[in-house]
Amino acid sequence: MQLKRVLTLRTVVATSAGLTLASSTFVAAVQVASYVLGDTAWIAILSGGVLCFLAAACFSELNGLLPSAAGIRLYFGRAFNNQVALTVSLLYMLIVVIGVLGAESYVLARVINEVFPGVQPFFWIVLLMFLVTVINIRGIKIAGHFQDVVTYGLIVSLVAFALIAFNRADFQLTAPFTPGSASGLINAIALGVFLFVGFEWVTPLAEEVTQVKQISQGMMIAIGILSVTYAAFTVAMTAVVPKEALAATAAPQMLFARSVLGEPGAAWMALVSLGASFTTFNAGIISVSRFMYASAREQVLPAIFSRLSPRFFTPWVSIITLFIVAVTVAGIISLTHQYLVLVELAAVMESIVYALVGLSVISLRRRMPDQPRPYRVKWGYVIPTLTIVVFTFLAAAVLETNRMALFILIIAFLFCLVYVNTAVPYLKKKHGQRKRSSRRRTS
Amino acid sequence: MATHTEITESLMVFKDKYNKNERLKVMNKDWDRVVVIKATDIESLHTLTVWKGVVSLNEGTTEKPDLTVISDSETLADIFYGDITPTEPYNDGTLKILGQEDDIIRLDFISLMIWGE
Repeated sequence: MQLKRVLTLRTVVATSAGLTLASSTFVAAVQVASYVLGDTAWIAILSGGVLCFLAAACFSELNGLLPSAAGIRLYFGRAFNNQVALTVSLLYMLIVVIGVLGAESYVLARVINEVFPGVQPFFWIVLLMFLVTVINIRGIKIAGHFQDVVTYGLIVSLVAFALIAFNRADFQLTAPFTPGSASGLINAIALGVFLFVGFEWVTPLAEEVTQVKQISQGMMIAIGILSVTYAAFTVAMTAVVPKEALAATAAPQMLFARSVLGEPGAAWMALVSLGASFTTFNAGIISVSRFMYASAREQVLPAIFSRLSPRFFTPWVSIITLFIVAVTVAGIISLTHQYLVLVELAAVMESIVYALVGLSVISLRRRMPDQPRPYRVKWGYVIPTLTIVVFTFLAAAVLETNRMALFILIIAFLFCLVYVNTAVPYLKKKHGQRKRSSRRRTS
Repeated sequence: MATHTEITESLMVFKDKYNKNERLKVMNKDWDRVVVIKATDIESLHTLTVWKGVVSLNEGTTEKPDLTVISDSETLADIFYGDITPTEPYNDGTLKILGQEDDIIRLDFISLMIWGE
């Protein structure tokens, strides 16, 4: 028995890499380069990629064991308990919405401002988000082959820019193995992880592939391709433009593109950024609105979020709510310019989730030892344990240097914890009172 | 554990409720899909076919379904009798649905329209 419509490995790779590629990753790449000496950013980026391989291996085992679009909500529920799963899932969605959409919109606004300096950047952001919202409400999905074209087009563009820059600058690595202080390198690696944020969001496609293994293969290939692409692009950026100049702008890729190819290069990079941001906004709204819908259906969020459009069968209330939240966050960030805090916050949240995923692998091997696993991480508990230790350490390292991110994270965590312990029982009780007696017995 | 007959009866109830709902039939007139329902703990396979908005039920399976709903017999009977929403068993991993996300949401919507929240 085989499903009629299935996704190919090529599309799984494109989806995993496409969810990761965003305009804000260029800012993170410059941050990575700023923490290390000379042209050694590649060390931190490749290290970040290798660490993400560890997390990807753990995700692969969990995805094979429990192939479901519910993802971490299900993994953590089985590994720990429902309360932990709910709290972490809500926190994750909250931070991702605020962090990724906020940082992304700010960076994209700067990019657009460079192309159309006469128009308020915020106007363009609202317009783009409105467009993505309408597309989502109408249920127009980015088809698999379109996602392929966009993602592979972006990767080819970044590699091409890097190669042209290397050629023009007659580039040679000067001190490739001297990254500087240990603390600088650790921070660089932690931010390097942010470059890969979202690779695991492909796991909900587990129900749309013929073999669950394709998801793990897709994640690994995507991380591999992105590691090399980011490393080359970041080293090229710092080879052509001084790090200080790159760090001083929210759109470093534009400065780099203009330096390499002049105005045509800037236009090309603006298109690349637009494509990257569009797929990020779209993926963010699809994932989070579906999460809100599913949560409302199980009485975790108010029932209003489970309202579907009878015409397009999309959760329109959740989508419009996200539009309002995203525009509000974009407005606040455009006034405060605190986008780097959001980048670091998202990196920390990802690291925490990856550490918990490692812990889940260990817990579920004990709780569900006989359950079939299409993919099992090799070498016993070594990789899950490494995943826990490394990502906990990276999260702590970023939080130690950025107290604002720590403060926001604590507030958001307490909010989610209180919500899960007070509002959720109330919603469930309210629903229980309305629920009819069993039809099965009365029918 | 529910029996094969109980699952069949629950699906019959589901099918009848659906076909009496004119709004649902109009909404799904272009949504032609084949849904296989498979129990994990007993031998029980059914095929629900949505064709031009109307649902029909057959015992057994089909070669290439659009959606495959897999769970234990008790959960399947509970879902199709409307005793529980599909979301809770789905989120706790008891219920697996293989297919495209849009189709899964549509199926959930049909359940919502028939049985309410």
